[in-house]
Amino acid sequence: MIVVDELRKHFKVHRRPPGLRAALRSVFHRRYEVVKAVDGVSFTIERGERVGFLGPNGAGKTTTLKVLSGLLHPSAGRVEVDGHVPGARAAAFLRQITLVMGQKQQLMWDLPPAETYAMNRAIFEVPRDQFDRTMKDLDALLDLGPLSTKPTRQLSLGERMKCELAAALLHTPTTLFLDEPTIGLDVAMQLGIREFIREYNQRHDATVLLTSHYMDDVVALCPRVIVIDGGTIIHDGDLRALVKAIRPDKLVSFRPLAAIDLADLERLGRVVQHDPARVALEVPEDHLRDVVSHLLSAMTIADLGIEDPPLEDVMRKLFKDKRAAAADAPADAADAADDDDEARRDDDEGAA
Amino acid sequence: MIGGRYLRLLGLQGRISLATAMQYRLNFLVEGVMSLYWLGWNLLPLLVLYNDRQSVAGWDQSSALVVIGWFVILRGILEGAINPSLTDVVERLRTGSFDYVLLKPADAQFLVSTSRFVPWRLVDVAGGVGIIVWAFVRLGHAPTPADIAVAAGLLVAACLAMYALWIMIVCAAFWVVRLDNLAFLLTAVFDAARWPIQVFRGAWRVLFTFVIPLALMTTYPAMALLGTLHGRTALACLGGALAMSLAARLAWRAALRNYTSASS
Repeated sequence: MIVVDELRKHFKVHRRPPGLRAALRSVFHRRYEVVKAVDGVSFTIERGERVGFLGPNGAGKTTTLKVLSGLLHPSAGRVEVDGHVPGARAAAFLRQITLVMGQKQQLMWDLPPAETYAMNRAIFEVPRDQFDRTMKDLDALLDLGPLSTKPTRQLSLGERMKCELAAALLHTPTTLFLDEPTIGLDVAMQLGIREFIREYNQRHDATVLLTSHYMDDVVALCPRVIVIDGGTIIHDGDLRALVKAIRPDKLVSFRPLAAIDLADLERLGRVVQHDPARVALEVPEDHLRDVVSHLLSAMTIADLGIEDPPLEDVMRKLFKDKRAAAADAPADAADAADDDDEARRDDDEGAA
Repeated sequence: MIGGRYLRLLGLQGRISLATAMQYRLNFLVEGVMSLYWLGWNLLPLLVLYNDRQSVAGWDQSSALVVIGWFVILRGILEGAINPSLTDVVERLRTGSFDYVLLKPADAQFLVSTSRFVPWRLVDVAGGVGIIVWAFVRLGHAPTPADIAVAAGLLVAACLAMYALWIMIVCAAFWVVRLDNLAFLLTAVFDAARWPIQVFRGAWRVLFTFVIPLALMTTYPAMALLGTLHGRTALACLGGALAMSLAARLAWRAALRNYTSASS
């Protein structure tokens, strides 16, 4: 079980305007400001849950994952993973978690992945027979085949990601922190990795906390999503409920078999697309039944489909609404502190 | 038991370093040739210096050769076993792959300090031993077993001091990230260890004895082999090396607490 209670992580960052003069000045006098990467985040995740962690760039997702995996110490708040305080980096804790970062690699670049596996086996003290069994399972799930014996630098991005996953999981952790595990992969490979994560979760009753820019990953894998923006949580719950709350309309699409007047369509809902090949309408859920029966009886159409709006749209609207609300609210406190002393004090608190 | 585990890990890291070195065959051979070249080059300044004099700061040429031999051994250890791993740490901090070190259930300082060895530097170590043997042949006598034992103890102290110094430099990278110049400066300063400490005067001698203890690294072990080192100085060397190791460990722990991880 993962417990996060009022987690805050603040960083002191050096900022300077562009230009040579500013660069020269910054050599003698540095201006710092405090960035509140995570600012009062609380949630609980039960064992075996698959949770999606969504938010725009810089929202605080990766920082939270790094605190949860013990890489960063919180500035304030309480974090527990299966009864362990991650920042203590106890061996028992590190043996039951893993962090996969799609943009960083642990495989040794010049050597085949098998060497990294051997090293990890020794470090995690995995008994030989258990290691052989796990590697066999991982091979079956990820279709590693001969990849493990080719030098890492000669593997494609997708192949490398498969091997990264194998290296990260050969100690069979029960808590998986996955930070953009499918970034840069083609659709087929994304599907493969996604299926693998689901299978692993079910086989080991593993807890999965996943961040991904590919909303499809999240839709396919995570019944629950936590949405974070500006370091605070703006939604935590069922994915479908979120979609319904933000975009209650359904997307009705079909192929017209005869020309349809735009005015007729506009009476039914908001027209998103009006081509000879495809028409798409956004229709409030309450009117869905009436609109569909009208389409089927009064118009000649084919390939009728009804779906939720794309999650990307939902997220865009969510963040836009939130920012609009924040802009309307009176500016009660400045987020950044330009003052050096204040910045330093905050950092000291963080290190304590 | 823990010691056994870490010895196994050390063996595995060594094997992986050897495999990495041999992955690029031509580079492996060129490195070997370069090692032999530098070994010969080390002797040149000494030969030039003693060309027209018998003694420098109380050291005759054969005794100074012992210091040079010791310096070559130490530099072999530094460039073969300490520098490569710790240079990698700085790169890992910059790229963020240091995260993966912290995710392992083993001592992070041990893991980063043993992550890369350069096998060809063993040529330097063997060459250094050869120079010392040659020096004693010229001197016409052999060191006593007791002198060898003290020198061996001081070799451990010298390695510890050197390692501690490098760890403290690496710790600075947690704050400043880039420290190429600092590491370069230290390597350049280490070059002064080829000369007996008595060659230096005033502030330089204080600096190279107490701050960057080059005397501890080469002069005192050489004096131990020659049978001219006071027992108290040997003990002070061991104490100093242990104190430096402790300071390095504390600095490492403080650095980890300050770790901010490179962004995704």
